[in-house]
Amino acid sequence: MPACISVSNIAALRIRRSALWVLATSALPLLCAPAVLAGFAVGTIQPRIVERVLQVNGNLDLTLTPKVEEAIGKGIPVQLVIDLRLFRRRPLIWDERIETWGLRRELSYHALSGQYLVGSVSAVPTDRESFTSLNEALAELGAIDGVALSIDEPLVANADLRLDVRVRLDIEALPSLLRPVAYTSSDWNLNSEWTTWKVQR
Amino acid sequence: MESAALKKYLIGVVPLTVLSVLLVASLFMMSAAAQNSGFLGRIYSVLLVVNLLGISALLVLILFNLYILLKQYRTRVMGSRLTLRLLLMFVALAVAPVAVVYLFSIQTLNRGIDSWFDVKIERALDDALLLGRTSLDAIKQDLLKSTNEMAIELEASSDRTVLPALNYLREVHAVTELTLFAQDGRIIASSSQEGPETGTLIPDRPSDTILARIRQGQTYANIDASARVGLRMRVVVPVYARDVGAPIRILQVLQTLPSRYAKLGESVQTAYAEYEKLVYLRGPLKFSFSLTLSLVALLTMLVALWAAIFSARRVVAPIRELAAGTRAVALGDYKKRIPVSSHDEIGILVESFNEMTRQIARAQSQSKRSQREAEMQRAYLETILTHLSSGVMSFDQRHLLRTHNAAAGPILGIDMAAASEQSVDWLAQTHPHLLPFTDTIKSAVRAGGREWRAEVTLTEDSPNRRTLLLRGTLLPGLKGRYGGYVVVFDDVTNLIQAQRAAAWGEVARRMAHEIKNPLTPIQLSAERIRHKYLRALPEDERATLDRATHTIVEQVESLKSLVNAFADYARPAQVRARTIELNHLVRDVVELYRVERGPVGADTIALRGAEGKERGANIKLKLELDATLPSFLADAGRLRQVLHNLLLNARDALAQEPKPSIRVITRHRVEGAQSFVEFCMQDNGPGFPPDLMDRLFEPYVTSKVKGTGLGLAIVRRIVEEHNGTIAAENLPHGGAIVTIRLPVSEAAHEPEEPTTIPGASARRAHGEPGK
Repeated sequence: MPACISVSNIAALRIRRSALWVLATSALPLLCAPAVLAGFAVGTIQPRIVERVLQVNGNLDLTLTPKVEEAIGKGIPVQLVIDLRLFRRRPLIWDERIETWGLRRELSYHALSGQYLVGSVSAVPTDRESFTSLNEALAELGAIDGVALSIDEPLVANADLRLDVRVRLDIEALPSLLRPVAYTSSDWNLNSEWTTWKVQR
Repeated sequence: MESAALKKYLIGVVPLTVLSVLLVASLFMMSAAAQNSGFLGRIYSVLLVVNLLGISALLVLILFNLYILLKQYRTRVMGSRLTLRLLLMFVALAVAPVAVVYLFSIQTLNRGIDSWFDVKIERALDDALLLGRTSLDAIKQDLLKSTNEMAIELEASSDRTVLPALNYLREVHAVTELTLFAQDGRIIASSSQEGPETGTLIPDRPSDTILARIRQGQTYANIDASARVGLRMRVVVPVYARDVGAPIRILQVLQTLPSRYAKLGESVQTAYAEYEKLVYLRGPLKFSFSLTLSLVALLTMLVALWAAIFSARRVVAPIRELAAGTRAVALGDYKKRIPVSSHDEIGILVESFNEMTRQIARAQSQSKRSQREAEMQRAYLETILTHLSSGVMSFDQRHLLRTHNAAAGPILGIDMAAASEQSVDWLAQTHPHLLPFTDTIKSAVRAGGREWRAEVTLTEDSPNRRTLLLRGTLLPGLKGRYGGYVVVFDDVTNLIQAQRAAAWGEVARRMAHEIKNPLTPIQLSAERIRHKYLRALPEDERATLDRATHTIVEQVESLKSLVNAFADYARPAQVRARTIELNHLVRDVVELYRVERGPVGADTIALRGAEGKERGANIKLKLELDATLPSFLADAGRLRQVLHNLLLNARDALAQEPKPSIRVITRHRVEGAQSFVEFCMQDNGPGFPPDLMDRLFEPYVTSKVKGTGLGLAIVRRIVEEHNGTIAAENLPHGGAIVTIRLPVSEAAHEPEEPTTIPGASARRAHGEPGK
């Protein structure tokens, strides 16, 4: 599957969304139900540096809650963002962040054909693939095969690098009407924890 | 300062107005954002959070305002109660309609949104989708059938010769793209009717899942919705090899749907998807609209609440200031002025208040001035009354003593402090000797005369029998009635005594005149008879005549000296004052009675004893003269007579004394502003007879056989001529002392021509009574 690197104005977006999350989760903690089993998790990630390119292979375990499945079935596309952060480990002091990427993928339902469409979010719609079952679509959505991410800054030779990965549902990409519900409902809180992976050379 | 600035920001108009306007704008944007997916739609969450935070801030500000108001209410700050009442009224007027509108709006909104969704429309869309799927299924089945046929035809074709076959089959079956894959998914050959202009030179590859299914011998036929050029049908089937054991190949047919089908299908899909989305988002839409509406209602209510607080404060402010002003006036601050901030009724009220306080202040200052003047007048009167020698007492209508002056107590001989606020009867009960005094007052008041005079003699303590002259006047009271009365009284005892003494003097003068005239002819006649007939008479009768004429002459002499004494006493005061030194005078007089000559100035001198048959022993006279004694104005001759009289009295009194002694003392005394020269003569004789003590200084009072009884009377008269006082008393261990006090006037310091002592002609009777 071709991968697209969506390195947009990530920092600004992240700050805003983080702030919203903090506000939403702290202001309305009582509305959040206990954590359900459904949700996103990072399965296995195998990062490797080849010159100034980070190649990432791996898979994500993506499970949706019935609410989210229903929304997708009703024609609401969902976007998930795979956040990747490359750090250089440093002894005694904090690790230096080298680069940050956000891979954005979309899952939608095509009612006429009864297919789930998976694709990266870009201007070109041809990158989508159709699947007859949701599980297939989710498997495809969670597959990270040979994603190549370019690193702008020069890397220190033999630097000990680590990659932090997490996958989250982008509530801001939902229709505006759904966002207040999504922010305040645990059904839509599918985000995974940050996971750390050693980068091979 | 900082606190005031902070308060201004927290309860001021500007911050709340700005916040409210911003919130209204934000809510408007949020409302718009809920319905479009543009920029506002992207910042919907931000707008929501901003609104929530803004409303929270507004809420905090309003709560802060309410807290301040409640605090003021509890501490009873002026105007806070009215503000709170107005606030409650405003809130009731503003919030209740908003709440009603809100509830109805929510209900209408929910119903309105529900009315968008119709079961028939939903079923129609479902049916349209089903119809679309059915027609597509028919195409799909046809295509699957054609593909299977193509697969059978291709079974015999080798990989190298398959391309023409593919082209042929594509042409024959009129499909868009025909691709043959190896079992591992590698493209063997492909035929497409699409040219390079479409930009896809590489044939579309089915997904691994599809390939896996085909390898298992299944077929795949479905619409491909992921295509870039609208809908197309994808059919994938296995192509079995004729040779046993040879790997299967995979044939994929892609058939772009006819544009009419595609458009209709897309239209149905889009409409269905949109409707489904709308149906799904019905709940969130209601929630979102309700949220927006609630926020708007909340904002409106909060703004109304704040406006109520602000308006109440604004309305109450002048009233509060007015109330504070009245309180200040009540506490006596008449300079309080309230700024006139409006020209409405309250403005008029404030102006009236200012005018009122101005007038009160003017009246008050006038009253203060009057009070000051009254105070001064009172102090003036009090000073006069205090220094008045007459006693003054004022009583109210109930005969209770209201005021009295300092002289009243000594004149009445009572402690006036205890008598204050007491009745006239109380005075009589507590001090029985005042009974005639109080009876006179009561009877005079009862008589009802506006002014009255009376003379009262206080006889209770007979040795101090005193005569008081009373003058009473009714005091003016309210509404023309009389409010009480004032009694002014003088102790006229001494005046009466002086009048009596003057009368005695007149009698003495006349008697002396009448008696002295015939004395000389009598004496001359007796001497002539003796001279003429003494020799002519026989010897035996001569002695008789001699004795008789001698007696006549002697008695006439005695009468003459008596008459002279009378004349002296009765002589009008003619004091020729000049500056004298009393000590010198004393020494001069004492020298005359000295036994033998000795050094002048010695303090202890021997005097001749009393003359006559019973001549006494020599007297030891001790002078204790004050060296600092000031000189003063006095008639030296008259004072010399005083000293003579006193010294002779003392000498006569010591006639029977075995160790007679006299002490003559001079002292300088200062009492207040008054300066006195005090002269004392003390002897160790028997003292004055107690029965004569009261009348010692009256004429013809004497204990001596030969005395005229005028010595001390003359002494007293001379002393009084010098405005002095005299007192006599017996000493506890025997003997008597006579004390004379003479005032030292300022003029005495400069030696000048003989002058008359002021007031010397008016005899003052301040002699200590009872000596």
